[in-house]
Parts: sequence; C-alpha cells; structure tokens
Amino acid sequence: MSSAQIEIQLIASLVAVACAIPGTFLVLRKMAMISDAISHSILPGIVVGFFITQDLNSPLLILLAALTGVVTVVLVEYIQKTGLVKEDTAIGLVFPVLFSIGVLMIAKKANDVHLDIDAVLVGELALAPFDRLLISGVDVGPKALWVIGVILIITIVLLLAFFKELKLSTFDKGLAASLGFSPVIIHYGLMTVSSITTVGAFDAVGAILVVALMIAPAATAYLLTTDLKKMLSLSILFGVFSAIAGYWVAHQLDASISGSITTVLGFLFLLVYLFAPSKGVFAVMYREKQQRTEVSLLTFLLHLKNHDEERERHVNHLNEHINWQKVRSKTVLDLALKNNMIEINKNIVSLTVKGNAFTTQAIDYIITNEDAQIEDMKDDFFLFRG
Amino acid sequence: MLGSFAVLRKQSLLGDAISHAALPGIAISFLITGAKDSHTLLLGALVSGLIGTFWIRGIITKTHLKSDTALGLILSLFFGFGMLLLTFIQKQPNANQAGLDKYLFGQAATLVESDVWMMAIVTGICLFVLLLFWKEFKILLFDKDYAKTLGFNTKLIDILITSFIVLAIVLGLQTVGVVLMSAMLLAPAAAARQWTNSLATMVVLAAIFGAFSGVFGTAISASQNNLSTGPVIVLVAAVFVLISFIFSPSRGLLFKQIRFIKNRRDLELHKTLAFMYHIAESHADITHPHEIKILNGFQGYTKGTLKKLVEKNYVTLKGSTWSLTNEGFESALNLYNQLSKNDE
Repeated sequence: MSSAQIEIQLIASLVAVACAIPGTFLVLRKMAMISDAISHSILPGIVVGFFITQDLNSPLLILLAALTGVVTVVLVEYIQKTGLVKEDTAIGLVFPVLFSIGVLMIAKKANDVHLDIDAVLVGELALAPFDRLLISGVDVGPKALWVIGVILIITIVLLLAFFKELKLSTFDKGLAASLGFSPVIIHYGLMTVSSITTVGAFDAVGAILVVALMIAPAATAYLLTTDLKKMLSLSILFGVFSAIAGYWVAHQLDASISGSITTVLGFLFLLVYLFAPSKGVFAVMYREKQQRTEVSLLTFLLHLKNHDEERERHVNHLNEHINWQKVRSKTVLDLALKNNMIEINKNIVSLTVKGNAFTTQAIDYIITNEDAQIEDMKDDFFLFRG
Repeated sequence: MLGSFAVLRKQSLLGDAISHAALPGIAISFLITGAKDSHTLLLGALVSGLIGTFWIRGIITKTHLKSDTALGLILSLFFGFGMLLLTFIQKQPNANQAGLDKYLFGQAATLVESDVWMMAIVTGICLFVLLLFWKEFKILLFDKDYAKTLGFNTKLIDILITSFIVLAIVLGLQTVGVVLMSAMLLAPAAAARQWTNSLATMVVLAAIFGAFSGVFGTAISASQNNLSTGPVIVLVAAVFVLISFIFSPSRGLLFKQIRFIKNRRDLELHKTLAFMYHIAESHADITHPHEIKILNGFQGYTKGTLKKLVEKNYVTLKGSTWSLTNEGFESALNLYNQLSKNDE
C-alpha cells in the first residue's frame, strides 16, 4: 500500500465516522431526507462563497455553504408551518430550487473556472491526496484529511457534551422542553452540524455519498439494535468498514470510489434487511407465519368447543367447514395433537381436559380483551413452538 | 399531472428517490446492450426505478424504519451504485459511452424527434388510464379502507398508479435531469393544490402549470446563452408555487393575513362599542353625549375605530363629544348578551 492509498482510506473512514454520528440522530428524528436536501442546496452557498473569495479552498466557502444548509432547513420549516403543504413536499420544493439557482449561477458567471457540478455531486476521493495542505512550506498531509478531521473532532466534542440533551430531545420532545432544554436550539444545532459535515465531506466524497453515509449505516444499525449507544457505535463500524471495503472494490474495478463505498453500504443494508435476527424480512415473515398458525389453532379449538355434534367434529368436515386447505388443517391438527389439546377417536376430534381449559382461557381473553390474561397464554404459545 | 397524486399521497419525495434510483438501470441496460438507444435505456431506468420503489415499500412495511429513512437510503444507495457502474463503463474500451451522464442533468436540447413522439404517446396512455380508473384512483387516494371494503383490488391500483409515476419520472429525466425531476413532479401539483379542493380541478391545473413552466422555462433559457433548460424550468415552476402560496384566495398567505387583520379590527370595534355601552348604561338617556377623552384610557380605542363606528351609524359625533345611537345601543346589547351566553 502506498501512502496515498492509506490516506484515501483514512479520509474515507473519517468521513464515514463524521457522517454516521449526525446521521444516527437524523434517522431517529425522521429527518433523513433533510440531509439529502442539504447536500443539494449547499451548491449556491459554495458558488456565492467562491464569488466572494475567488478561492476554492477558503474556509469561508465551507461556512457559507453550511449557512445555506441551515437556510434550507429554516425555509422548509417555514413553508411547512404555513400549513399549505406537507413537510416532504416542502423539502422537495426547496432544494431543487436552491440547486437550480446554484447551477444557473455557475453557468452564468463561473463557466471558465474550475467549479464543476459533477464534481460537487459526485466528488472524487482518488484526487484527495493530491490536494496537500502546506503549513509554512511543510507538507502536513492532504487538505481533505484536515478538514474532515477538524469537523469530526468538533462533532465528537459536541456529541459528548450534549449526549444527554440530544437523546432526550430525540425521544421525548415534550419532556426535554419541560426539563428546560430547548428542543429548538438542539434541533438547529444538529442541523448546523449536519450541514457542516455535509459541506466538509462533499468535497472529498460528493454530495450523494454524504447522504448515503449518513443514512445507510444508521438505518442498518437501527435494524439490529434499539439501544442508542449501540446504534451509534454500530453505525460508525458499518461506515468505516464500507469505506475501507469500498476502496478496495473500487481499486479492483477501477471505478469511482464513492460509488463503490455506497454499493458496499447497500449490500450491507440488504444483508441486514433480509437476515437481521428480530427485524429482518425473513424473521418477520417467520413470525407472521407462526402467528397465523397460532390464530388458526385457536379458531380450531374454539370450533371444537362450540360443537358437540359428531358430524361437526369429523376430521374431513373440518376441512370444509373452517375453509382451510388440507395442508394447513393438517399442520394445525398435528400441532394440537402434539400439545395434548385434542384427541382423535375414529376420526372424531374432541378436546382433552387441557385443551378445554386452554380454550376457556382464550374465550375469557377475547371477551374481556385485557392484556393481563394473554400474558400466561403467551407462555403456552411458546410451548407449541418448542 | 401524476404529481397531484404523489403530493396528495404524501409521497412527494418519491420522485426524488425514483429519479436517482433510475441511474443504475440506465447504466446496466447500457452494459447489456452496449448501445445508446434511448428506448432501451429508458426501459432499464423504468425497471430499476420500479425495483427501488417497491424496495422502499418493503422497507416501510416490513421493518420499523420510517419512510424518510427508506427513501434517503434507496436514493443514495442506488445512485451510488449507478455512479460506480458509470465510472466502470467509462473505463471500458467502448467509445460509445460518452453522453450517458447527460441523464444526470438532462438537456432538453438533446431530445430528438422520436423521443418527443414517445413522450407524447406515453402521456396519452397516462391520460387514458387516468380517465379509465379515475374513480378508483380517487377513492384509493382519500379512503383506502373504504376502497378495500368496496371490493376494489387496492394493491393492483396502487401498483398501477406507482408504475405510472415512475414512468413519468423516467421520461422526464431526459429533459430536466435527476436532481430537478422531483421539483417538476411536485411544484405544479403543490401550486395547483392551493387553488382548489377538487381533485379533478387540481389535476387539470397542475397540468396547465407544468406545461406553462415548461414553455416559459424553455423560452427563457433559449433567449440567453449559458442557461441550461432544466434549472430555468424549475425556477419558473417555483415562481408559480410562490405566487400560489401568496395569492390563492382561500389558502394563500396574503388573504390569510388580510383576514387575520380584519378579524382583529372587528374585535377592537366590538371592544370599543362594549366600553361605550357600559358608560352609556349608567345614564338614563342612552344618547347622552360624553367626552371623547374618556375613551383615551381604554386600550381598544383608536380614532379609526371611532370613525368606523360612526360609519356604521352606531355613534354620532358632535364636537369633542360622542353619543351612542339607539342602533348602536341595540347592537352593543346584543354583543353583551352573546358574550354572557358564551360564558354560560
């Protein structure tokens, strides 16, 4: 590995961490799309900053861009507050407009300078190490590394300082307000941090990747845990992993690094989405199937309890009467047999003592609809599954 | 036109997500066919847009992630994947790849006649299907459960309407590009929403707004150098939205403000009248004149309100004194009764 490769991976990892922290809170606060809006609408800020300073590397540029990001948030909230449109429509209206203004400004005034829309949107990590920061003639490393490093440190300091407040205002706005923390200040603080992170990172990795790095690790982590601290560390882990893995994929394919980091993130998310232990698609489908069987079993037992006539309790009759398919009624029948709920005598099904007691309990629950009664039954249900 | 449905279904940002999600489709279909035929590319875009949409659906229904997270996730992941493929294509030894990235920003000038025809045909189909399933769409939009109990296949209609939104977006991509497509979908609909409460009117209005911003935007961008079409169209559409927000008669900000001020004036008028009533009450003769100065201590009083009261013939002025007329006394009495009734 050359030093440039190490530097690229370092930058990518730092960006990933810096994005994952505000991203987690954005996802939890249901404001994920705001990051997308910010990443687009900072364009006019950058352009105006460029006009003022005539220098693409000035810190003023980052400041102005971050300011535009906050302006976006304020505008979105203002439009939403008028009650004329919903929040998502407000977001969808504000950022394309700001972006268009940015594009037009570039087209009109800055055609001859190095300020490319493609570069803003996509970014190029591979070039990052060539943009060195020189302090009194000494090469201290790539500029992007320093920029994102400073932002990361600020973010971490803010996170540690205001962790309690952030947590509280994210999960219970009312309580936070009544305890004297201003949710508004925290809200705008978070927005400012997100804007600054977006701006600092987009230079290196592009606007879209910033969004991906903010949302994807947090969303993936959210599927695995509901603990805020675990979620934060998991999303940082995912971010760094995909940054490094993405770099090597890009290296192999000779393609865009930011694109391949995003792709790795996508695969990670897909894996977790499908196989997460309690929230993944397969787990949910399995649980739904189990619940369906349980409900069927209950229906079946109730039917038995209601009918004393032999005709109604004949095995074949059950197929027609409750309208189940053969396979399903067989599953239910077997399940009930296994749990000693029923006995089958010459193809006539009848409830055992245990089954009778259980069914009475179930009826009680259905009539009273109190949660306390279902608690014991839940244990019984687990018995069937075993 | 279809944007109206997106706005009302609170799926506004879907447009944004789909337009980004279409990118890998374009890239993949190019990789497979190796040709830059716009029809196959659009087909690819359509397919990947649909995959993106249904994955978003899946995430929302199957997990506890919220819709905004799902949208942002799919948007950025698909776009990133698309970028990966695009850069991968660029490294391929195939001279044909240039111009694929024009889909990113769109350029109406690159459209050829066959594209325009295709757009016209697709628009026609959209219109036809819209009219055909008008009732179903409408009922699904406003009361999903009701539609289900009536026996409509809500899932099918849902898929149908989503597919058409995706189709419209993919077609629009060529003109205004990925980033601005969501504005094209939303802006006309959001503007139209301000003027009417009826779905039919809204759809028609949105179509008109959309067409106008398209025409004006193209005209403006053609009249000057260096103005790309897409952003100009979006800005024109945004102006429409702004005007609608401010000037629409029933929902607009301007009229809301006017109503607000008017209500406040009415209230002050009533307050002054009530104050006068209390003074006049203590005299046997209600039309007995009083000094205007007495009113100065009262907050709701201004010269303007006094003048208004005179206009309404509730009060007569004589020099520096005022006196309630019979009419004024009556209405003040009514006011007073109403207030006490409300208190009870």
